[in-house]
Amino acid sequence: MRRIVAAFVAAAVLAFGGLAADTHGQKNSSAGVPAKLSLPVKDGSTRFMVVGDTGTGGKGQYELAAVMLRYWEAFPFEFALLMGDNLYGSEKAVDYKKKFEDAYRPLLDRKVKFYASLGNHDESNERFYEHFNMNGEEYYQFKKGDVSFYSLNSNYMDKKQLKWFEDKLTGDTSDWKVVYFHHPPYSSGGKHGSETQLREVVEPLFLKYGVNVVFAGHEHFYERIKPQKGVYYFISGAGGKLREGDVKRGSPLTEKAFDKDLSFMLLEVVKDQMHFQVISRKGETVDAGVLMNQRKKSATAAK
Amino acid sequence: MKNAIRDRACITVVASVALCLALTVTSFTAAPAFAQTQPTKVALSVADKRVVSAFEKRVKEYARLRERIESRMPKLSKDASPEQIEAHKTAFQEKVRAARAGARPGQLFRPEIVNVSRATVKDEFKGKERQELRRDVLVEAENKTVPVRVNYPYPETQELLEMPPTLLLRLPQLPKQVRYRFVRGNLLLVDRENGLILDYMTDALP
Repeated sequence: MRRIVAAFVAAAVLAFGGLAADTHGQKNSSAGVPAKLSLPVKDGSTRFMVVGDTGTGGKGQYELAAVMLRYWEAFPFEFALLMGDNLYGSEKAVDYKKKFEDAYRPLLDRKVKFYASLGNHDESNERFYEHFNMNGEEYYQFKKGDVSFYSLNSNYMDKKQLKWFEDKLTGDTSDWKVVYFHHPPYSSGGKHGSETQLREVVEPLFLKYGVNVVFAGHEHFYERIKPQKGVYYFISGAGGKLREGDVKRGSPLTEKAFDKDLSFMLLEVVKDQMHFQVISRKGETVDAGVLMNQRKKSATAAK
Repeated sequence: MKNAIRDRACITVVASVALCLALTVTSFTAAPAFAQTQPTKVALSVADKRVVSAFEKRVKEYARLRERIESRMPKLSKDASPEQIEAHKTAFQEKVRAARAGARPGQLFRPEIVNVSRATVKDEFKGKERQELRRDVLVEAENKTVPVRVNYPYPETQELLEMPPTLLLRLPQLPKQVRYRFVRGNLLLVDRENGLILDYMTDALP
């Protein structure tokens, strides 16, 4: 009898031990369907995540964070880009914890660095927060491998910021130039749509200085925009909020879109190729592909 | 005959060189890429420029005041904790509010700059290509339930309306610590760190 009870207890421990969760339902281990990667996972590649509009502190954000962790274990990305709206509503100390730190604690513990940009729901003071790595600035630049990243503040694109951006781009000889900020220059969203005013001032700089890829948020869905004047554009704004069905069907801008669930992107840069994979809250791949470096493409064509 | 042909050839060469030089000078003095996108707008008069300059000076005086206050506080680290950020903002807000206890509407936005700014905004929003922008700004600005009071904080729970970049290029330039914001039909000046509303002008949107 004692042996039966002991066996039952042991079985119960084994069954429920793997499902240990914190109060928000986030698993600290990677239980669940294994990650299905469509990325090459090459040694020495630059690996990162892109996600936006996360800061709800709600169940959806935490569920998506659990999927991020699962994919990290198969694809250990080094850092993440935040597209803004990092904290919705109040921004007291407790909000930083609930709407960011607690959700991504497993990734922070694994030394993933988050590089944030500011959205229209974000206070400027977020730039001082240790885990947003903004170095006290509303706009900044950093480099990883051969990829130069520019984080801009699209809430307030004034003359100073534009001058800073142009000065930085001048003489930037990185193989890849990636720019990210909150408001999308191109979008098929019904609620917001393309930020044409912003595009008017930033797109000339993208074209003049050979920016390769632009990421944005603000719209609560995922969209891959058809290349515009040779530049690749993505919207990844469903990291915590979703506006279901908001992508205008038949939009001439859309290459691929997903507005049925929350999602995030994983990217890997290997020399002239930028591989991407978009994953939903269910852990399913909703888009994937490879971007060729435009400058290398045209140099090859010219030979 | 030969001299005539030679003379015409010389003139052609000289004209070509002059054209090349002119093009070269033009390219070296070209405006930054972003400035080249701006459509031709109504220029400010000399009197308007003086008004703008006086306004910018008043706002810089505010910036110096808040810098003096902030310099006497513990410096906020670039790797601050949420508790440190919250404490700094609260203390900064209280100190600046106390230092500007007598602040009233119209001390920064005096009538003359209000007129210039209204004209600038109106000019920026006119035309077919700006109708959508105007509609978007008006609709979003209208939805803001922000109490517009000088020396009171802009509520942190209220999202910020994105300022149209082309308008920012035309309005008087502000120190980095001060921002323009639309709330309903008003144009506000807001401190980006302590969140205080410094002043506002009404009927800002056409």
